Amino acid sequence: MNRRDFLKNSAATIGGLAAMEALSPMLLTAAESRPDLAVVHGNSAEGVVRSAVEALGGIRRFIAKGDVVVVKPNIGWDRKPEQAANTNPEVVATLVKLCFEAGADRVKVFDRPCNDPQRCYVQSGIEAAAKAAGAEVIHPDDRKFREVQIPKGVAIQSWPIFTDIFEADKLINVPIAKHHGLGKLTMSLKNWMGVMGDNRGRIHQRLDETLVDLATIIKPCLIVLDAVRVLTANGPQGGNLADVKRLDTVIAGTDQVAIDAYGATLFGLRGADLGYVREGARRGLGVMDLEKLTIKKIEA
Amino acid sequence: MLVWARRVSQGLFLLLFLFLFLQTESKGSDQLGYPAKLFLDFDPLLALTTLLSGHTLIAGFSFSLILVAITAVLGRVFCGWACPLGTLHNLVGAMKRWQGSQHVRAWFHVKYLLLIFLLTGSVIGIQLTGLFDPLSLLVRHLALGPYPALNYAANGLMDAVYKADLRAITRVADLLFEFFKATILAFQQPRFEQGTLLTLLLVAILLLNLAERRFWCRYLCPLGALLGLIGRWAPLNRQTEASCNGCGACDRECQGGLKVDAWRASECLYCMACEDACPKDAVSFGFSRKPSSETLNLGRRKMLLAGSAGLASVAVSRATPTFYPNRANPDLIRPPGSRPEPEFLARCVKCGECMKVCTTNGLQPTLLEAGFEGIWSPILIPTKGYCEFKCTLCGQVCPTGAIQPLSQAEKAEWRIGTAMFDRGRCLPHAHATPCIVCEEVCPTPTKAIWFEEVVVKDRNGRELKLKQPHVDLKLCIGCGICEAKCPISDHPAVYVTSIGETRSKKNQLLLDNSSRYGA
Repeated sequence: MNRRDFLKNSAATIGGLAAMEALSPMLLTAAESRPDLAVVHGNSAEGVVRSAVEALGGIRRFIAKGDVVVVKPNIGWDRKPEQAANTNPEVVATLVKLCFEAGADRVKVFDRPCNDPQRCYVQSGIEAAAKAAGAEVIHPDDRKFREVQIPKGVAIQSWPIFTDIFEADKLINVPIAKHHGLGKLTMSLKNWMGVMGDNRGRIHQRLDETLVDLATIIKPCLIVLDAVRVLTANGPQGGNLADVKRLDTVIAGTDQVAIDAYGATLFGLRGADLGYVREGARRGLGVMDLEKLTIKKIEA
Repeated sequence: MLVWARRVSQGLFLLLFLFLFLQTESKGSDQLGYPAKLFLDFDPLLALTTLLSGHTLIAGFSFSLILVAITAVLGRVFCGWACPLGTLHNLVGAMKRWQGSQHVRAWFHVKYLLLIFLLTGSVIGIQLTGLFDPLSLLVRHLALGPYPALNYAANGLMDAVYKADLRAITRVADLLFEFFKATILAFQQPRFEQGTLLTLLLVAILLLNLAERRFWCRYLCPLGALLGLIGRWAPLNRQTEASCNGCGACDRECQGGLKVDAWRASECLYCMACEDACPKDAVSFGFSRKPSSETLNLGRRKMLLAGSAGLASVAVSRATPTFYPNRANPDLIRPPGSRPEPEFLARCVKCGECMKVCTTNGLQPTLLEAGFEGIWSPILIPTKGYCEFKCTLCGQVCPTGAIQPLSQAEKAEWRIGTAMFDRGRCLPHAHATPCIVCEEVCPTPTKAIWFEEVVVKDRNGRELKLKQPHVDLKLCIGCGICEAKCPISDHPAVYVTSIGETRSKKNQLLLDNSSRYGA
């Protein structure tokens, strides 16, 4: 844990105003260089990802030499990039490149899709883009789903999870922001459904609690929310280009609750409108009140 | 020499066949990219019977004219040199040590009678040829039986090695497994209804070779019969020199079961075994105008019987409730692009290509859902696998156009049936529990499943706000992904039946049916 994380965690968990005031000179200088969230808008997907990561302190803050990294996009659907149902392939590829630039040993990219996995990987453009950037694009091996205990689980106490995410040194979550029929929106917390095995559709019975349960055991070091294109209706699968809005934006940070709370504003909602964001904040997994976050907006 | 040339040719054709067979699998692109049905395209028996039963010339079958021309000149060289099922017969036959002279049953005429049966049947619109056609048979049985079994065995073995965790051995095995997965194994374990039965039938057909070499080819194969008819005047003939002393070495080796003094072009497989076996080098093949001592006397009564049986087969097969004209079978969910049922049955040769290529394994062989004549034709069983919204591969590999190839735009609007809810089982409808899986996975651009927000009470009278799903009958295309993914996995609370299917004029529900691709 570096100083910045220490400060942020103390601020979030203790929430002590006195402590914050006492440290405020230090915090402010740190906040200037390292915001909680970096929101970057610009024409080039690669450009916005690079400057977002840079704003958070650069890729070396997250990835060390020799790391095995999992970059987890949303590749859930047999849809093309312009339909905004899967993470933008260029955003994924840029993160892969950044990892290698920081000296990562291996970068794995995978998801457990809802549609035919091969079609999803090919049609999303993610397989080709990530491979070209040097990643290992794999289909989760059935044998590597293991029942994992979730000690702080409220809705689920254990579930079969694809173990590659626990074997990796670092996790990067790279979801897309889009509409969802039950959760209203799906972003970073919901993206971990992609490592769940078994009859995972059942989690919708207690979606908010389950997503937060997962977040208690899956800890990404970096989250980059893809809002280059967002899907505003008929999600999470879409298919109608009229439902796609081009925002040319990514939001990067280290707190999934905060990322999703900010993401909600892209759709005219507040974080508190989303059950899993409320649940995540309530259980102390992150901050949903944007007032309490330092947010750096950049035009790339 | 020539016998080795023949063996090499057989090996190459078998490899090509198996290669195309393995490529009959989605790699994630819209187009398959391989001519998976190539062997079937070359089959004049399928071409002819489909022409008769479906009243249609199919472009793909123009390749079969090449085989007709070759056969007219060279005789049944296809049987001896190229047919992949013939090669398998050879391999199984070679497992037995044959001694002494062959016991030949001389049931040669049976295959011609079978051919007459199939042809007369096809004239009045019943297509049973695929059940016996060797190429159709081999693709179907391999795809639905032994190939899934091979995958099961490989996966099981590798799972065991993986769990045993034998360090270096497991690591090497894993690398090998990756290689096999990329080459000969399926992306996902295929599973088919009746797979065991189809394997056993194929094994039984192959074991006939232990009774007589090439039993199938001599007595049963209707394609062999057709090629025999075409090739009976072939100028490529077997010639015997005067030096022949009648030792019978050629008789013992003949794969066609012929005698040296009764050679017939229609029964010769041109395997060159006689040429190889002759100690005197007295046997050779060459072009001559000399007609072979060909007599094909099937007997008028037998021919009449076979023809009548072919005609009767239609009545026998269709005078059943399956063909009750005003009520479709709800389970008969045909692949997207399928023609109306009578036309579909007139064309489908049950080759299994569509089932082999189906990305979700949802296409399964029928047993009696489509009547006896429809046995092993494809239906979608959504609980086994749904119809992938943007996949059009089944239409691409169908050799007869029973499943028409669809463009992406056509596919998006093609209905194979309609989904409806079983409200007594659905969680939000009956059990005051949230669930939205069916809506989430519904692939139509404007979702065919929509929510009604309701307030319900649970057992304790506590009020809950819930979204209850409904089907928009105008938008639903019957793909069945809702049924496939419903968390009530044993007996889903939403299910598809064939009603509303684009291909049928009668099996309709809505008064205003705006489907653009009506039959």
